[in-house]
Amino acid sequence: MGSFKKCALLALGIALGSSLQGIAQAGSYVDVLDLPAKPSALAVRSPLRDVAQAGQRLVAVGQRGHILYSDNGGKDWQQARVPVSADLNSVHFPTPQQGWAVGNDGVILHSSDAGASWNKQLDGRQIGERVLAHYQALAAAEPANETWAQYVAEGQRLVDEGADKPLLDVWFADARRGYAVGVFNLILHTEDGGQSWAPLQDRTDNPQSLHLNAISAVGEELYIAGEQGLLLKWDAAQQRFAALPTPYQGTWFGVVGKPGELLAYGLRGHVFRSGDGGQSWNQVETGLPVSITAGAVDARGDIWLFSLAGHALRGTGDGAGFAVVAQEALAPVAGVAQDGANQLVLVGERGVRTLALQ
Amino acid sequence: MANIKQDTMPVIRDLRDFDQRSGNVLERLVFNYRPLFVVCMVLVTLVLGYMALTRLELRPSFEKMIPQSQPYIQNFLENRKSLRGLGNSVRVVVENTQGDIFDPEYLDVLKQINDELFLAQGVDRAWMKSLWSPAVRWTEVTEEGFQGGTVMPDNYAGAPADIEQLRQNINRAGIVGSLVAKDLKSSMLIVPLLDQDSATGRGIDYHQFSRMLEEKLRVKYEFAGDAKAAASGEEGSGKYKIRVIGFAKLMGDLIDGLIQVMMFFALAVVTSLVIIYLYTRCVRSTLLVVFCSLTAVVWQLGIVAWLGYAIDPYSILVPFLIFAIGVSHAAQKMNGIMQDIGRGTHKLIAARYTFRRLFVAGVTALLADAVGFAVLMLIDIPVIQDLAITASIGVAVLIFTSLLLMPVALSYIGVGRKAAERAMRIDTNAADHRGFGKLWDMLDLFTTRKWATGAVLVATLMGVGGFLVSLNLKIGDLDSGAPELREDSRYNRDNAYITGHYALSSDTFAVMIKTAPEGCLNYQTLVLADRLAWELQQHPGVQTTVSLVNAVRQITAGTFEGNPKMNSIQRNQDMLNYAAQQASVNAPELFNTDCSVMPVIAFLKDHKAETLDEVVAIADKFAQENSTPERQFLLAAGSAGIEAATNIVVREANRTMLLFVYLAVTVFCLFTFRSWRATLVALLPLVLTSVLCEALMVAMGIGVKVATLPVIALGVGIGVDYALYLLSVQLHYQRKGMSLSDSYENAVAFTGRVVGLVGITLAAGVVGWAWSPIKFQADMGILLTFMFLWNMLGALILIPALSYFLLPDKRSGAVAAKQVETASTQAQAQVNPQIHPKFEACAEGGLLKNQR
Repeated sequence: MGSFKKCALLALGIALGSSLQGIAQAGSYVDVLDLPAKPSALAVRSPLRDVAQAGQRLVAVGQRGHILYSDNGGKDWQQARVPVSADLNSVHFPTPQQGWAVGNDGVILHSSDAGASWNKQLDGRQIGERVLAHYQALAAAEPANETWAQYVAEGQRLVDEGADKPLLDVWFADARRGYAVGVFNLILHTEDGGQSWAPLQDRTDNPQSLHLNAISAVGEELYIAGEQGLLLKWDAAQQRFAALPTPYQGTWFGVVGKPGELLAYGLRGHVFRSGDGGQSWNQVETGLPVSITAGAVDARGDIWLFSLAGHALRGTGDGAGFAVVAQEALAPVAGVAQDGANQLVLVGERGVRTLALQ
Repeated sequence: MANIKQDTMPVIRDLRDFDQRSGNVLERLVFNYRPLFVVCMVLVTLVLGYMALTRLELRPSFEKMIPQSQPYIQNFLENRKSLRGLGNSVRVVVENTQGDIFDPEYLDVLKQINDELFLAQGVDRAWMKSLWSPAVRWTEVTEEGFQGGTVMPDNYAGAPADIEQLRQNINRAGIVGSLVAKDLKSSMLIVPLLDQDSATGRGIDYHQFSRMLEEKLRVKYEFAGDAKAAASGEEGSGKYKIRVIGFAKLMGDLIDGLIQVMMFFALAVVTSLVIIYLYTRCVRSTLLVVFCSLTAVVWQLGIVAWLGYAIDPYSILVPFLIFAIGVSHAAQKMNGIMQDIGRGTHKLIAARYTFRRLFVAGVTALLADAVGFAVLMLIDIPVIQDLAITASIGVAVLIFTSLLLMPVALSYIGVGRKAAERAMRIDTNAADHRGFGKLWDMLDLFTTRKWATGAVLVATLMGVGGFLVSLNLKIGDLDSGAPELREDSRYNRDNAYITGHYALSSDTFAVMIKTAPEGCLNYQTLVLADRLAWELQQHPGVQTTVSLVNAVRQITAGTFEGNPKMNSIQRNQDMLNYAAQQASVNAPELFNTDCSVMPVIAFLKDHKAETLDEVVAIADKFAQENSTPERQFLLAAGSAGIEAATNIVVREANRTMLLFVYLAVTVFCLFTFRSWRATLVALLPLVLTSVLCEALMVAMGIGVKVATLPVIALGVGIGVDYALYLLSVQLHYQRKGMSLSDSYENAVAFTGRVVGLVGITLAAGVVGWAWSPIKFQADMGILLTFMFLWNMLGALILIPALSYFLLPDKRSGAVAAKQVETASTQAQAQVNPQIHPKFEACAEGGLLKNQR
């Protein structure tokens, strides 16, 4: 009996010990900003949001911190080492080596090896503080200017909201100067390759704090596309993003084009063309009821647009319109990059695909 | 064979010369009050027959087929009310074979079917979904915000413009792959069923519901009213095809299968009649044997009904087995009586003699069978435990019918004179090495060095080969579709069609995430659910996963004008609340009402054991790493989840059950033979059969599952009978100093026919199952038939061969000297050829003593 008791106690002890150990191990929730992205063979077929060229290399970003790169035109992809597992929305390489990626939770990543490895420069937990400190400093310097108080309040709101700061697009002019944009007029810029980021909310003609969906350069001009018809263009003289007259009150998902031909695309097939840098617009009939979510210019200078349903539209060349290009299967497109003379690389809900150019 | 001696009981032609007071208490009680006994038996039979007729139900129960105390199953049972998406629903697919769904006539038929189902009893109308349901809507982001409407245009009138509108709405709603087939040739009606019918308050009658689907939908629309063609199980050749899957339909089909299997019972009865008649060549005793065995079945069913059990696809095995065991026992009784009558004894006295010789032995034999059944109680699966209980009841019943009623009935009816004389002649012939004697001589060869070595070598080779093959034995079900039914059944063809044309498979594995109320809206919970889903997706056997996270991501993107970059889980609680509120309209199956349970559902490509094991391992690892008291990750729900849990139990049970059944049989043999060598001789053939049975399972693609678990236990439990029959007689002679060869030849001459009879009647009882529409019954039938027959062959060939090595002449002599002879006060040299050989020692010590 005695030995039985001892055994039972021992068993109980072991059971307790193991369950306590289980509790100690389990449940230590790790935030997406602290959990490195997991390598997965499925990443190439999983939701991706953007793709960019880094020299000859292609770099694509997507859900769960996935960053993939390919050196053979999208045939084979390697997964990069990424310190976060937040959803990534956009990637841009101003030089073949230096690139930035941004995503949800205010994450900004930087790579100096053409996308093979990344480190975090900023995340949503710090953005609020930066914005607040920036505008508090301005308010202190200029106590009479009441607008700064508004921006301070805005900064406080960002602090209170924590990491919840989706960044939707990133664009760098060179290895030092770049911008990241996001929801509710969130805009950050850097002059030192991302070592420090400062808010630029006071430099946008966006009184309603509309979402900034995309930022991209067409020729020498820099544009921002946002919701409710918001179109902004960098005005170097004023040192701010100035509003453009907008022909449409729906959401823009981006702008694309080449010198002399600017296209803004958005909700439910809406595409407008401007020949004068956005001062006047003409609607371009696409015949599609679905949103246009990506655009690119190919090596020959043809402009391409892609829909959320996967349609590919090719500019007719005379600037008059677009024609749907037949494809074997449609898959949603969220991002596109030119790759050499012969193809475009598309990414979206179902991963990567390529579109051959005739 | 001159050693075969005549019965020691005196031949008494006249009843008046017989001492009514002879025999034990039971014998006097039964035979001296024969009329009373018969009246009692008739009354009991009538009462139990009435019970069976009025109370017996066919009720395949889902709960009973799963291992109730397995932790995964307990998790599932605790939370099943919260798992609407995995609940009880039927999916009806209407296919247009001559076009696509954009055909006004098709849409009209679909509407009729929709209305028919909507009004059907037991349907949870509020959640029914089809192209005609107002709940099936499209939404679209516009400049003004969300816009939406029903997928079926409001004022649909079948005009081309309406069809075009419908086509556009289907695309906007994104239901291709879910409600509409990928090839647009069919569409689906999702029909959730109520747990309890609101009108009757009772659970839904699956058989009735399934019949309704057949009659009101399939016969009418697929077969244009031709019920006969519909019943054939083939597909119709008309314009429309109705395909139905879902638990209710599966259960309905199982009950239909059960009814069909019950028809096989008639086949078993007819086969037994033929076998017994060939054995006895006497019509009235043949009928009597079958009649007594049927009485046993009536009793068994009556008691089972009385105790509130229902017939399910497993327990239906019991009447077949009871009938077959009953036939073999009754036939032995009759054989004994026949020989006594053949010698001239009065039929009543012959009956009493037979009772004296065989009652104890019969009870012991039934006990051996009961060992096989009793071991099944160890398996934590209610259907198997029910099988064990009902079979035990059946075995107990056999004591009354085959061991008591049979001789009493024979004492009235007697046997045909010709048949009685023939029985005598066969025995004489056998003794003179003619007729059966030739066969016995041949079997006797196996006691010689050359043949014994050959047989043991061949058996060893077969054993080793079988073992190597059996290493590939799989756990669980190996085919796709519903494992209960055959792969080519209509249900499984429908299932294959639906799996092929729609996006989601029917093999679902769900992990339940349990939190405090409102906890499923927690950002961290959603992120963890997303991580779990992603982990599961890494397995190649997982097609896709679905959880609230999918809906939340999509709805979040929707609030950002469908921006694909916002297809994400936001930290903003207002955003999450809004998403969940939307999801509760669009996808209420993804979480429960108070948002405390949400499943992460993985759709699997198949339900092979390896796939399930690996998926379980992934989910279990994740659950262990991430569960906290406030947020638990619980395995497992969904059809594949339950199957995974069942596999775990079955794998475990298979080992313990084999261990226990062999342990029980070993103890039984040691007790009976009092010799470990003899025990080895008895057991090794059984081991060979078990190994070969597993090899056969591998060869036939049958996995170890709930249905095949009982087979090996039954095979061993009943199979040991043969060894007991043969070996106890052989030992008896060996212990008297006879050579092995003579002892065996005597044993086989006495019992060879009985062994053959038992093997064949048992096999005949279950072989019909091979044609059962229920797949696991067919598997059971094939395996049991194999085991019953192979055990018989193994006993007849391997017992002499193994005896040559393990029970050589001098040793057995020593054994005998040690035990039996000293124990027995009756050192007689003669043996009674009709004594149930198994317990001859008992018979000598007990029955025969009484008789003196």
